[in-house]
Amino acid sequence: MLKKLGLTVFLLLGHGAADAAERNFTLHIDDGDLTITGAGGTTLSIWGYGESAGLPTVPAPTLTVNEGDTVNVTVYNHHSASHNFVVQNVTNDTNPIAANSSKTYSFTAPAAGSYLYSDTLNNNINREMGLHGALIVRPADNSNTAWTGGPAYDHERIWVISDMDKPRWNDVASAGGSVDTAVYKPNYFMLNGLGGFDAMMDHNTMIMGMMDEVTLVRIVNAGQFSHSLHFHGNHFEVINVSGVRQPTPFEQWDTINVPPMSVAEVLYTVNQYGEYPMHIHTAQAETANGVYLNGGATMIMMH
Amino acid sequence: MKKTAPILLLSALGLASSHVSAATINKSLCVGSLSKTLSGQSVRFWGYYDCSGGMGGGGMMGGGTVPGPVIEIGAGDTLNLTLNVNMMTPQEMSPYNGHTVHLHGADVQTDEDGVPETNGNRVTGDTYTWAPSAGHEGSYPYHCHVHTVKHLEMGMYSAIIVRPRDGSGNFMNRLNQDAATAYDYSQVYVLSTVDPAYHTATGDSTVFADYNPQYFLLSGKEGKTTGAPAMTLAAAKNKKVALRLIGMHSTNSTFQIKDTGGNLKPFTVYIRDGRALPTPKTVTSLDISPGQRADLIVALPSTSGTWYPQVVYKKLRDNAAYATVYGKITF
Repeated sequence: MLKKLGLTVFLLLGHGAADAAERNFTLHIDDGDLTITGAGGTTLSIWGYGESAGLPTVPAPTLTVNEGDTVNVTVYNHHSASHNFVVQNVTNDTNPIAANSSKTYSFTAPAAGSYLYSDTLNNNINREMGLHGALIVRPADNSNTAWTGGPAYDHERIWVISDMDKPRWNDVASAGGSVDTAVYKPNYFMLNGLGGFDAMMDHNTMIMGMMDEVTLVRIVNAGQFSHSLHFHGNHFEVINVSGVRQPTPFEQWDTINVPPMSVAEVLYTVNQYGEYPMHIHTAQAETANGVYLNGGATMIMMH
Repeated sequence: MKKTAPILLLSALGLASSHVSAATINKSLCVGSLSKTLSGQSVRFWGYYDCSGGMGGGGMMGGGTVPGPVIEIGAGDTLNLTLNVNMMTPQEMSPYNGHTVHLHGADVQTDEDGVPETNGNRVTGDTYTWAPSAGHEGSYPYHCHVHTVKHLEMGMYSAIIVRPRDGSGNFMNRLNQDAATAYDYSQVYVLSTVDPAYHTATGDSTVFADYNPQYFLLSGKEGKTTGAPAMTLAAAKNKKVALRLIGMHSTNSTFQIKDTGGNLKPFTVYIRDGRALPTPKTVTSLDISPGQRADLIVALPSTSGTWYPQVVYKKLRDNAAYATVYGKITF
């Protein structure tokens, strides 16, 4: 109904594109838990941004805006340590938000694309503990194109990739100990905060479609390892690598490497019936503490 | 008549030829156990081998190689690849018993994809059929997709090379139908890494949560120095060499070619992941991540010399180098 109303107003005013809007978001930083279900699963102690006080999530809430919007993000730090909020390549205030205080960050939504936001303090520990998420900037007209004049799509998926070293990082940092950051041996690998057993059934993570439908996959690697993602079933078109829009015609790959703290965007077209995995092709990243397929994996389905 | 003209035109361009001369290629693979001595240490592997003529001396008795046999087919051909799993085949206990062949990058349908979790758990032998289209020339890995974290590491991988055929059905010495991709020599470089702990662990062990590669291979060999390269090619000056890089490793990696003085030599990448690049790329360095491939050509100079194609294996966290593995081309 709201959409219809918006369309009516849009037509009456006859504007070529929607005007830039002001978008307000609130994030609360708290400590909490992330549970990986199924064999190999565990409950990880985390620090996260959440929409509500006391309810941190990993990854953090996705902030979705249109190009040119004025974005205000107010961050409340309810945690005992200092934190910050930095949108990679967009904002540059890295000053800490002290415990039990807040700060509002204002910026203009940059060029349409996918961005990583995170807490950049504490030598990667805060990001590893769960303080990371995605900012999605859609074209100014909010159309289903990757950017104004860019490739069109039918569906959109956001994959925030994370890795966590439970014994050496999460257990230690959450207990107030000192993490030896020289050693990092992650034993949990997640898509959207889910182990593979959940991500393979999660409708917000899986690629699903009818014949010839196109899914724009926005891959945001918030982890500390490079992740090499292999898609079964079809090749994909590489449209954006590390924030750089690729020239057309796009290259077609079946495996893409996404380094730590970088983003990539690909277009996957479902072109045959069946069920196909998408998984990280690197030894341990397919596992949850060694249990096969409960790591970085999801499914591509067409029925 | 209306149809003849475009067909003749296509034939003149060499584009329609593969349809005329498509072949059906039937091959059988078995799996054998083998030991390799790496840096003086013995490591147990499982490897595919060609048993189209019978099992031979394979199974538990050996016969497998790492990498397995490289299979060459033509675009438009039909490959029927039969995996023979029998009581002699080395394997894990349930639920990771048996083996498959995953035709990585072939984009075959679920039934042919070799993934037990989606194909009804067919792990006791199967025939995998693939008919790559024209335009899909290039390099593809095949590997076992049962408990991949272990079985890939155990050595169950190799390559399928999809080549263009001419009007008579013969393989052309080009990467694809594009005449710019013509070469005089070609070699397959299969990249892989070895953590011996993964070779002795089995089932859902916590060993598989932590990968510590100790040995770094190019087509199954350690080529730790330019004096003892993993791959050698005796070529000739002014000729072109095609190298097909196949990423079956579990680390980051960078490929380069250097001369004896350490100077970087440019090469041109024409195909990635079995798809021609819209714009071929001439570079002096190329990253290959696990699962990726590149088909490239390097033009040798007009004076004699020795060049060293090489792969630097790098850590997933910070790209710090683990080791460099060398190939060698003399001309």
